[in-house]
Amino acid sequence: MYKSFLLITFIIFSIFVYLWQQNISTRLAYKVNNLQVEYDKINSENDILRLKINSILSLEKMYKIANEKGLLCPDEKSIIYID
Amino acid sequence: MKKNTKDENNRKTVLAIIVLTVFFLLLLKLIYVQIFLHSKINRVVDRMVNRKNIEIPKRGNILDSRANILATSVKRYTVFLDTRIIEDFNKVKTVLFKNGIKIKEKRISDFGNAAYVPIAFNVNMDIVNNIKNEKLKGIGFESKYTRQYPEGRLLSHILGITDCDGNGLEGIEKMYNSYLSGNYITTKMYRDGLGHVIRDKFIDGLKLQGQNVELCIDRNIQFIAEQELRNAFKKYNAKKAICIVQDPTEGKILAMVSLPDFNSSTKIKNIGFLRNAAISDVYEPGSTFKVVAIAAALETGKVKYSDKFYLENGKFRIAGHTIKDDHKVKELVSLSRIMEISSNIGVIKIAQKLGKEDFYRYIRKFGFYSLTGIDLPGEAKGLLMEIKNWNSLTLPNISFGQGIGVTAVQLINAFSCIANDGVLKKPYVVQKIENLYDKTESNIFKSKEIRRVVSVETARQLKKILKNAVDFGTGKNAKILGYTVGGKTGTAQKVDLITKTYSTKCYTASFCGMIPAMNPKVVILVIIDEPKGGSYYASSVASPIFAAIAKRVTEYLGVEKDDIIK
Repeated sequence: MYKSFLLITFIIFSIFVYLWQQNISTRLAYKVNNLQVEYDKINSENDILRLKINSILSLEKMYKIANEKGLLCPDEKSIIYID
Repeated sequence: MKKNTKDENNRKTVLAIIVLTVFFLLLLKLIYVQIFLHSKINRVVDRMVNRKNIEIPKRGNILDSRANILATSVKRYTVFLDTRIIEDFNKVKTVLFKNGIKIKEKRISDFGNAAYVPIAFNVNMDIVNNIKNEKLKGIGFESKYTRQYPEGRLLSHILGITDCDGNGLEGIEKMYNSYLSGNYITTKMYRDGLGHVIRDKFIDGLKLQGQNVELCIDRNIQFIAEQELRNAFKKYNAKKAICIVQDPTEGKILAMVSLPDFNSSTKIKNIGFLRNAAISDVYEPGSTFKVVAIAAALETGKVKYSDKFYLENGKFRIAGHTIKDDHKVKELVSLSRIMEISSNIGVIKIAQKLGKEDFYRYIRKFGFYSLTGIDLPGEAKGLLMEIKNWNSLTLPNISFGQGIGVTAVQLINAFSCIANDGVLKKPYVVQKIENLYDKTESNIFKSKEIRRVVSVETARQLKKILKNAVDFGTGKNAKILGYTVGGKTGTAQKVDLITKTYSTKCYTASFCGMIPAMNPKVVILVIIDEPKGGSYYASSVASPIFAAIAKRVTEYLGVEKDDIIK
């Protein structure tokens, strides 16, 4: 009787462990998916920001702004080189 | 009473039989489903639950020599409607309109009752998030990488373009497509009952991403060259304009401009603008080519640096034709003076001493009429008549740069060979390819020596001749304060396609020079095709552009000044 009880308990316990790890792995899979989505999103945002920075710092734009502000390349004669 | 009990028992028996029969049929069905339909059902379930997903890689970036991004890919979205499940069309219309998307009713009616009606392309992520927050049924989004060029027009011919699927069609995008495009990976996913995706693997984006291609072109030098050339292009209302800046010791291309150009990020209206004239267009170089005849004559020893020539008082009759010089010189002149005044008669006499076999050999040795091997698509070989077909006028003609077709990259490479003490290098634009995932770098893109063309001594004599041509000759306008400059002007008549003779109206003005003259750090070539509105001479058209570019480039590179300011 005691042996049968132990056997049944063992079987139930094994089933429980199996179901528990199945559940955990499914939950982790959901989490992995969410993280992947988040990672892709952040990566995309990063790319867009980097593009924005590069577009803002484009030489043509900078030159235009410099011209608007009245900044000019100094004349060679007005530069004094100090050794 | 007994009868009632018997009826009851019969009913129970019948009921039991019915129940047992139902269960028996169910059992049979179960056996049928489990054993006979097993594989078919498995397939259906598999199709419902499992999903194979092709991960689209992000195309690699193109960077300049200082790692500034010149081309990159960003995710953009296509917004589409599923007209079958839209609940409130007016609300959908209002929300989309608020986010700058107009729905064309005709477009929807054209598609009919469809699950995919695209209504906006290249929509950015912020707008997509705004629309998603409204939680409306019937609006879908499809992501796709699109190519962006943050510098606009800068380097358009070098970078090239891609098609809508991200495949390179021109320039570096085409040449290095296999490196840039990355790897497609197929991943497995599962879907639960609610359609949520379950993933069992995390995919590193870097693993998918294409490799980064780093150019040896510096965007600042490119900007200087483009800006100065664009101003001249407008000023002279030219047909075409080309500028190349090269590092002669390595063969690296530091800048390459061809005008007219295009903006890779916008729609290209004229497909002809895609042509990179610096490598694909062949032109008659004119007097800049004189340096080849002189180099060959000096190297073979048929002419000495100290030799003097009679210039026939500016008129020389050869094979029934009269060749004229701009200057009428009666006395004997040196080799250097011939280049200073750019005398056609002088160079013809040198070429005649040299002979056609040696001249042809040195033309080829300098890399003309062969591909330079530059890593850009569409390079032309040039035009040169086979030596067996040369007539009595071919040698004199070619000696001053007519009757031969060269590309701009061939010409600058020949000048770089002289600047590099006689060693011809392979020109290149890509210096590194970097894999971001495993941090490996491909170093196959190193400076490559093609051959020694002339000795160090000949090369130095040539550099001196070119320096004199700028100091005392036609190249005066190419001088810049603080530096010695060596170079040669070239004003070539173009062939009139109607009369099939040399035109007296259409010219190509060019200047190719090196700074500092005796120990060059940069070689610059400027070509203005068909300048209009006044002068067409290279000395007044191309030389000042060269000077403007050279001044800014040397300042930027910090090239040490070698000409003491007096």
